[in-house]
Amino acid sequence: MIVSGMTNDQQIVDSLKDPVTKELAFRHLISKYKERLYWHIRKIVLNHDDTDDVLQNTFIKIWNGLDSFRAESSLFTWLYRIATNESITFLNQRKRKNMSSLTDENQYLIDNLEGDSYFDGDEWQMLLQKAVATLPDKQRLVFNMKYFDEIKYEDMSEILETSVGALKASYHHAVKKVEEFVKSHETRIEP
Amino acid sequence: MYEEKNMEPDFLKRPKTNPFRTPDYYFESLEDRVMGNIEYQKKRESSSTRIIRLLKPALGLAASFALVYVLVYYPINTFLLKDTAKTAVTDTITADWLNEYSINLTSVDENLIVNAIFSEDTTNLAETNPDEFLAYLSTGLNDVEIYSEIQN
Repeated sequence: MIVSGMTNDQQIVDSLKDPVTKELAFRHLISKYKERLYWHIRKIVLNHDDTDDVLQNTFIKIWNGLDSFRAESSLFTWLYRIATNESITFLNQRKRKNMSSLTDENQYLIDNLEGDSYFDGDEWQMLLQKAVATLPDKQRLVFNMKYFDEIKYEDMSEILETSVGALKASYHHAVKKVEEFVKSHETRIEP
Repeated sequence: MYEEKNMEPDFLKRPKTNPFRTPDYYFESLEDRVMGNIEYQKKRESSSTRIIRLLKPALGLAASFALVYVLVYYPINTFLLKDTAKTAVTDTITADWLNEYSINLTSVDENLIVNAIFSEDTTNLAETNPDEFLAYLSTGLNDVEIYSEIQN
């Protein structure tokens, strides 16, 4: 049985296909990816409680979709894609519920950030997170994945199903916008 | 992009730190909670499947009735009865029309007709001026026809 010594993705995938070892293999999958997926989702939705909801849904979706997983993409990119889609869907639903106009769209994220009791950052980090929160969805995703998670453009391209060139352009625009936001708000932060 | 360090915006040069944290021991129980949710979802799906299984005969019966209604009762109601109603209207119209426009023979006195045919009384005809008679007869004719009639 592979399960006991499951360390790499291929072993996990093989064990997931066997009904006898499926559940145990899935526990291994959760154990291996839970933190990485959590932080990926957390940077998108910002609030811990929301992240927990999205993470649970992500794992349920992964469990339900195991039969549809093809080895064409790596397990890592497949999991990230599901987590990203779940996060965006969750945010869109929340925005629809809370939003009265399009200008409130990013305010929802900022409120989410300010109301999160599990945020320990200083003023500069809060400013940076607010700057990122003002970005359009796609640019925010790309910025988070590149700047914070340091994911390679090639992997990002598979996860977001976007060309490397487009991702580089998105990151470039995102950096410019974040810089402008930080510059225009930094003077208000007391040293 | 931003390979040259001196081109980098200032904020990119700052050390990256994670300002977020999680509740204590959050990750330790995650596997159990996820598997618990999956089990709960499975149970919910199987209970909804059981309800559907119980309701299946009733739903089948209802569907059959609906099908019979759509295929039999509705066309009969819509098309056949409508045709019958149309025929009834036509019959009524025909009867009324006949009553209105036909000659009511029961109201005609046969004796009067017989007398008129066989009577030798020509007083009414004698009183008629021949020129007026000819003018009356020729109202529907043109000059050529009148001339040819007179010649004949």
